[in-house]
Amino acid sequence: MGWAFYNVPCSDTNTSLHPFSLAKGLVTSGRNTCTPYHSSTVKIPFVAILRTNLHQEMNYFPDEVIEHIFDSIASHRDRNSISLVSKSWHKIERCCRRRVFIGNCYAISPERLIGRFPCLKSLTLKGKPHFADFNLVPHEWGGFVHPWIDALARARVGLEELRLKRMVVSDESLELLSRSFANFKSLVLVSCEGFTTDGLASIAANCRHLRELDLQENEIDDHRGQWLNCFPDSCTTLTSLNFACLKGETNLSALERLVARSPSLKSLKVNRAVPLDALTRLMSCAPQLVDLGVGSYENEPDTESFAKLLAAIKKCTSLRSLSGFSEVAPLCLTAFYPICQNLTYLNLSYAAEIHGNHLVKFIQFCKRLQRLWILDSIGDKGLEVVASACKELQELRVFPSDLHDEEDNNAAVTEVGLVAISAGCRKLHSILYFCKQMTNAALITVAKNCPNFIRFRLCILEPNKPDHVTSQSLDEGFGAVVQACKGLRRLSVSGLLTDKVFLYIGMYAEQLEMLSIAFAGDTDKGMLYVLNGCKKLRKLEIRDSPFGNAALLADVDKYETMRSLWMSSCDVTLGGCKRLARDAPWLNVEIINENEDNGMERNEEDEREKVDRLYLYRTVVGTRNDAPSCVTIL
Amino acid sequence: MDGCSRNGEISPKLLHLIPQGRRNWFHDDNTSVYNTEEKKLELKLGPPGEDEDEDGASITRHIKKEPKDKSILSLAGNHFSPSSTTNKTTSQKRTAPGPVVGWPPVRSFRKNLANGSSSKLGNESSSNGGLLKNQKCEDDNGRGKPMEPKRQQGGMFVKINMYGVPIGRKVDLNAHNSYEQLSFTVDKLFRGLLAAQRESSSSGEEEKPITGLLDGNGEYTLTYEDNEGDKMLVGDVPWHMFASSVKRLRVIKSSEISSALTYGNGKQEKMRS
Repeated sequence: MGWAFYNVPCSDTNTSLHPFSLAKGLVTSGRNTCTPYHSSTVKIPFVAILRTNLHQEMNYFPDEVIEHIFDSIASHRDRNSISLVSKSWHKIERCCRRRVFIGNCYAISPERLIGRFPCLKSLTLKGKPHFADFNLVPHEWGGFVHPWIDALARARVGLEELRLKRMVVSDESLELLSRSFANFKSLVLVSCEGFTTDGLASIAANCRHLRELDLQENEIDDHRGQWLNCFPDSCTTLTSLNFACLKGETNLSALERLVARSPSLKSLKVNRAVPLDALTRLMSCAPQLVDLGVGSYENEPDTESFAKLLAAIKKCTSLRSLSGFSEVAPLCLTAFYPICQNLTYLNLSYAAEIHGNHLVKFIQFCKRLQRLWILDSIGDKGLEVVASACKELQELRVFPSDLHDEEDNNAAVTEVGLVAISAGCRKLHSILYFCKQMTNAALITVAKNCPNFIRFRLCILEPNKPDHVTSQSLDEGFGAVVQACKGLRRLSVSGLLTDKVFLYIGMYAEQLEMLSIAFAGDTDKGMLYVLNGCKKLRKLEIRDSPFGNAALLADVDKYETMRSLWMSSCDVTLGGCKRLARDAPWLNVEIINENEDNGMERNEEDEREKVDRLYLYRTVVGTRNDAPSCVTIL
Repeated sequence: MDGCSRNGEISPKLLHLIPQGRRNWFHDDNTSVYNTEEKKLELKLGPPGEDEDEDGASITRHIKKEPKDKSILSLAGNHFSPSSTTNKTTSQKRTAPGPVVGWPPVRSFRKNLANGSSSKLGNESSSNGGLLKNQKCEDDNGRGKPMEPKRQQGGMFVKINMYGVPIGRKVDLNAHNSYEQLSFTVDKLFRGLLAAQRESSSSGEEEKPITGLLDGNGEYTLTYEDNEGDKMLVGDVPWHMFASSVKRLRVIKSSEISSALTYGNGKQEKMRS
């Protein structure tokens, strides 16, 4: 539950809150900034509202006033809390709710969504489970956006923004979207698939007020057509255009004309098909850019091209964020030196060919960096440089560059780099770190150095790898992390781990919301420690770990408090899953098979068969009807 | 047709009804990935290890009706893949390098990066030419199929780019043992491409040989990047020393030598520690 700040028009904080002073003030949630215009604020948790009759007093206000108060509350969770206070608040809240976030598109139906929030303008939907990113979920599993767009269109909802993650989007859906919502402004697709550049052409052509088209890491069939040409000349409102994931050629002149007529463009991320001279021209006509994603520049530029590029870059004084670089010759990278010190976000994690030294030379000048995505070719030494140069660093992601284990390990990162970062970057709160080895001692040091972690994801490439110095499990190391980092919300563990690490997690990780487990644990107790201990757990995903029916079935009600559970290559059996489905009808229990069901015959042994992949989630709308044949819903 | 001879019991006529690719189920399975346990689950017709569920499913759909009510189906029973260990070896939508499916947890496009072969424009980079004899055919749609590493089966392939030519090539250094040979190969690889690039600007159709790569006399000069990231002129050290430290090659314009080497070269400013 969130907090509310009430401004009171007097400095005596003991004054009881009068509802009229409440109406005068600004009510905001604890996560947003509050603009006080009086001298003191009183902090009241929303839950306290329930215990007072404050809300009843507020009901004497006209609805518009209450709506105005609610409007300043942005966080979804706080809005949800407000709607629980009373029936009248529920009613007011739902009618003025503009932004809705649905973490699992199968938890609710489009019709019910529209029924409750008829005035919604912005919808965020997530489809496939997270492990779909690693090819563990069949393509046709589900997550189709079409029914949603269809329902919203028929109900004439004034949709302005649609954000999708891991959903299947078709060209037809995009076409329907583009024609159904006159005021549509923003389309953000992350890790989606199923559409082509023809769909993009519809969006470009028909959405007259389009401001944002942001395509992140989608699988798009590139028909190498002229979708960029489909933006009409009258389209001048673009603020953000990201097509970095497109694999084909780009109509450069169409792109240049589009950028030239978009004075509000702040974010531009091009694909690898935009060569250096085109990039130079783009930057020259958009010096206001804040966020730039560049293409692929394997060839060294000649002196003249380099000079032009440098000149264009120097003009981009607002640039704060730089990404792309799927290949970059070292010389090209040096052209960006003039703006290094302004950068707050740098993503060089696609540049596999560039040697670590060049990366380091660049990054050492990025003193204001807050987020860095890099490849492990930077090495421990490189991370030490980052640690001494980037004192503002909050988020670091180090991805593996050598997945075939062909190189000698000199270039990769180890626990040494991680410790160096933790020692130098005290503001660090999020980390994703791929490495080949780790030690408990290092993790304990990291935990001590950085107790502020919110997200801690460590991936040791070799499953079950122990502490490489002591050969022990890494239980103590991760235990130290969860104990020290009281605000930890997301954790991924790896390496050799016994049930003990889960005991620690259950005991200490009180704020943990998402946990990813792979090749870990010994018995059902491990999973039980987590389910019993982590009260705020929302998403649990487990693979290749020896957890079975006993753990799965111990506390069925727990799953109602969670968004979803994923278990693959574990020890749960079909019988266990069936029992769960029986005991918890408000869950969808999905069994995903390797191969399609074939055979209607079934003998008793099947109940004891281990389930390949289990995905269960709470839902208010029962079994979905779009599951493919490789998915069985119990 | 070839299936007939393996099992005389099956009438040839019936056999013809089954498409060629689906006849594996009556093989005697020494070669199959499946173990004997799975032989009991005979209705699976797709060959083991095959990617697409759709293919494997197409026959089975003819055999059984599509269940409308999933819950009834669950009571009637389904075929579930038996043990988890076997499943690791059987089909996945996209192949992943390494023995474990979906591990490490990186997205497909990142898996391809390391080999420098994420799909290029309209792709087909670099895979022809007699010198590239060990190289397998590269998959060009970037959909997550693994690319072969640089070192394989004795061939040592490094990338080579040439100024003015947007498409790169690869050279097998193990197939050479002198700089002259290498220089000759570079000419062979790029002469035609360079001429094609120039076609648009000049009317001349001749392909000019690319010479003087090693001595600074030609229009172009051959340089390389070593394992410390430094840019070097080719030809200074003994061949074997060069071959063991080279990471990639670049053909630059001779006029650009001083600037190219200054900016990219870490020798003076390198971060050592």
